[in-house]
Amino acid sequence: MTKKIAHIDDDPDIRDTVKRVLTMHGYQVDSYHTSSDFIHSLDDSEKVPDLAILDVMVESMDAGLTTYIKLHDRFPNMHAIFMTSLGDTILPYFENKSQEWVCILEKPVQPTVLLNIIQDRLGKAN
Amino acid sequence: MTTANFSWNRSTQEITSTIEKKLAHQKLGDEILISNIRLFIIFRWAIILGLILFQVISIVASDTLTQLGIKDQEDWPLAVTVILTIANIAYAYALDYCQPSKYNTPSTNIWVQIIIDLLCLSVVVHFVGSTETPAPFFYILHIALACIFFSTLESLFVTAIVSAMYSILLIIESGMFFQVPQSMLIDAHYSGEKLHKGHILVWMAALNTLFLTVWYVVSRLAIILRQHEQHLREAYEQIHQAQIAKDQYAMLMTHQLKAPLDAIRSKINLINGGYCGPVPTEIADVLERIDKRGSSMAKLILDVLRLERLKTAGRNLEAIDYVSISSIIDKCVEKLTPVANARQIELKLSVEDFRAHGIADQIEILIENIVSNAISYSHVGKSVEISSIVNKNQNTAVVSITDHGIGIEEKDLPNIFNEYFYSPRAVLHNQSSSGIGLSLVKIAAANNNLQLKVTSEPEVGTTFSITFTDIQQIEAH
Repeated sequence: MTKKIAHIDDDPDIRDTVKRVLTMHGYQVDSYHTSSDFIHSLDDSEKVPDLAILDVMVESMDAGLTTYIKLHDRFPNMHAIFMTSLGDTILPYFENKSQEWVCILEKPVQPTVLLNIIQDRLGKAN
Repeated sequence: MTTANFSWNRSTQEITSTIEKKLAHQKLGDEILISNIRLFIIFRWAIILGLILFQVISIVASDTLTQLGIKDQEDWPLAVTVILTIANIAYAYALDYCQPSKYNTPSTNIWVQIIIDLLCLSVVVHFVGSTETPAPFFYILHIALACIFFSTLESLFVTAIVSAMYSILLIIESGMFFQVPQSMLIDAHYSGEKLHKGHILVWMAALNTLFLTVWYVVSRLAIILRQHEQHLREAYEQIHQAQIAKDQYAMLMTHQLKAPLDAIRSKINLINGGYCGPVPTEIADVLERIDKRGSSMAKLILDVLRLERLKTAGRNLEAIDYVSISSIIDKCVEKLTPVANARQIELKLSVEDFRAHGIADQIEILIENIVSNAISYSHVGKSVEISSIVNKNQNTAVVSITDHGIGIEEKDLPNIFNEYFYSPRAVLHNQSSSGIGLSLVKIAAANNNLQLKVTSEPEVGTTFSITFTDIQQIEAH
């Protein structure tokens, strides 16, 4: 069964790159420009992804982090990956959160690394 | 061979994370009261010892005391000694062995101390001489302490108690209202004489005026000091808020500067990964060079953010702990192995584990940057040695990172920790240097009270030695 991945990023070039890489490897990718678009989409059970790739600074400085908390509350078993230009400098914002659940990828998109991590995470989910 | 030592001292008081708002007229916090209660208990033991000594002398050298004008030793020194000893034990017990409650607070403890001390002092004043010796002036000490430790109103209350005790004492002694047995006096001049009532009234008025004056002056000073303390707290809070705003701004700027670069480099990765079809070798080479420059710039942008963060984080007392040096080194090696492999550099480890006292993240930044530099400035195919040696006798440890690379010239050595310092030789060897790596090392060392020693010889290599002076040794199994 095709795995569904949601990708939230306000940069169209990053959205395009991620979509190309993942669709080429058989994933179904739904791209969102904002976190609120993504959160609204979750009302439709058809749109609930297996894994979400979140940007940190989208609508606001911490929109990605807020989305992460909402997502974790509603879907505790869903995996999420942060993909941000800020890399591990956002780590101080993850106090008392499971390091196992949080995965931070620094931009730019590196296709091999991204694919390995997604396969690893979805493998664990299965 | 050139060697340079670097040490940056910082006060541990620089950063405190909790701000408690107190009004200037309020009394001191419990922590300060508790530490002073302990001090008073020790001070009281010294007085008890003095009283015991006095009693011993009065037994073995009674004649000498009589010659000094002290005669007819009664039982008051023994009674005061017993009362103070029992009370002192009770204060310590209430402080250390009883659960804090509504009736067992540091404030109550100090209040009971003051009342009992004042009663004992009144006994001493009565027997030693209430108008003939300087004994009543010891009341002033209690008024001053109350002004320092209590609110203005409470210290006024203590002053009123002191005035009342001294006045009652004088009234009783002078027999203004009823007759009491004559007290023992030190000064023989008044011995056996009934004190004159006018003389008593002068002493009563004078000392009570003095008590009130001392209360007014000291409590005024205490208020001024507390107001200054409050201003300092508010200023610190403002600085703290400004630092948070500055960090957010720095993050925003970092993001805005790096995001376009990341988009460009993502597209390059897409092309190089073959997602846009086959790429001619010449174009792939050009793209690789573009990506390399972009990578250097991205590293510089993130390093600037890290530098600003390290500067503002300072020595965060909450984050300080004992951390295993072996786990930190392993983490750095794991992260940097791909970089070392790319230059065919072998990372050789000889680590004797210990627990370093400091902030784990900052020690990691320090070691990672030194190892990263060692890799960058090594000659291809050489090795980088990372070792740690514990000095069990001195309870210190040294972590050394040695490379076999271009080394540092003597004239450059004093400047290597300066922000954005570039050595032309270093730039020739490593064009992607941000010039910030060793500034991060310097700040992390300063924040964690670590000493650095750099020994280098051009074209031979460099050794960075980090000395940890506060460690926990780990027993080898």
